[in-house]
Amino acid sequence: MVDRPLDEAELVERARRGDLGAWETIVRAHQGIAFRTAYLLSGNAADAEEAAQDAFVKAYRALGRFRRGAPLRPWLLRIVANEAKNRRRAAGRREALALREAAENRPGGAVPSPEAALLSGEERKRLLAAVERLPDEQRDAIACRYFLELSEAETAAALGIRRGTVKSRLSRGLERLRAELGERP
Amino acid sequence: MSELEQRLVVLGRELELPASPDVAPAVLGRLEGWRPFPWRPVALAFALVAIAVGTAFAVPQARSAILRFFHLGGASVVRVETLPPAVERSQAGGLGEPLPRTEAERRVGFELLLPPVHGGGPKRVYVLGSSLASVLLHADGRPVVLSGFISQAGLLRKLVLQHTRVEPVRVAGVPGLWVQGPPHVLTYFDRELGLQERPIRIHGNVLLWTHGPLTLRLEGRLTRAQALELARQLG
Repeated sequence: MVDRPLDEAELVERARRGDLGAWETIVRAHQGIAFRTAYLLSGNAADAEEAAQDAFVKAYRALGRFRRGAPLRPWLLRIVANEAKNRRRAAGRREALALREAAENRPGGAVPSPEAALLSGEERKRLLAAVERLPDEQRDAIACRYFLELSEAETAAALGIRRGTVKSRLSRGLERLRAELGERP
Repeated sequence: MSELEQRLVVLGRELELPASPDVAPAVLGRLEGWRPFPWRPVALAFALVAIAVGTAFAVPQARSAILRFFHLGGASVVRVETLPPAVERSQAGGLGEPLPRTEAERRVGFELLLPPVHGGGPKRVYVLGSSLASVLLHADGRPVVLSGFISQAGLLRKLVLQHTRVEPVRVAGVPGLWVQGPPHVLTYFDRELGLQERPIRIHGNVLLWTHGPLTLRLEGRLTRAQALELARQLG
């Protein structure tokens, strides 16, 4: 079995010494989550691509100050999230998220997975619309924690806030969603 | 995880997200030939001034109202007609993550300069971004915040009003700036990470000065003489 954290630590060390090949491996390993994070926060594919690219460039240049032994992904995601939020601020708006067609129009005979059965097509649309109406701070926390399935610690790192603040933003966001959807806490 | 949280996870998996692009070639292309050192001092000073002016103009309320500009190490003081919106904070609030001193020093990449104090000095050092370190101290019976960062790594931008005093001073033979007067607004910008912290409203007086590659900042309700004396004790 490959010891992934150790491998990554070695790659970071090599990149720190100027090995661009090592950095390329890191970029390829993290560019998927970096782009998805940037897209959910900026709401625009072109901005998200630019944000992810700029973040990997800035992170490489800042590697000298990356804490040895610390997990790389939260650190990278914080730079990505910051780039994405800067672009969202500059644009003044973001595009609304959409559901995959297959999820929206599930064929009548198709049997949904147990998880998907938690939500009917109409409920999906209502829930997504309610998430989109949340204040940015709560929406960002919910997007990172549930849509991207980041841990609380990673969400905190990505958004540059404390874990306690993540908890309170999630709690307020969930409360607001329940109120909008007419559900009891 | 509550049922609503589970539904949000399901929803996230069914979102229409654009295919992730391969950014590696563009990233590597931009990094090709990049070397961190040596930076030319003159070019660096110019770049810092450019960033300081740029970030000041990034505050909409300051866009048409910059009256005067001071620069020192990694800090700039910009006199404006109107202060931008800013958050109030307690003295330790907004300073960053509290860490043991050794870990904080490893994170920011330099050893903290502290005045001789009884009891082994502060137990916690606050780190903002990965470059700005701050400690809470007591001087002349008053709490003060001492912050420092490598001048190349960050930029402190302070916006002050017309009637705030900004005076050149000398700290142990090197130039400094003494800022005294009504509330002013502070933003810290981690240049390498591209992180800009939320503007914070400051009510105390501030002494800014440089010490080798570091930019240092002392904030509190101190007189100019008290601040200068405390700064002289650092080492």
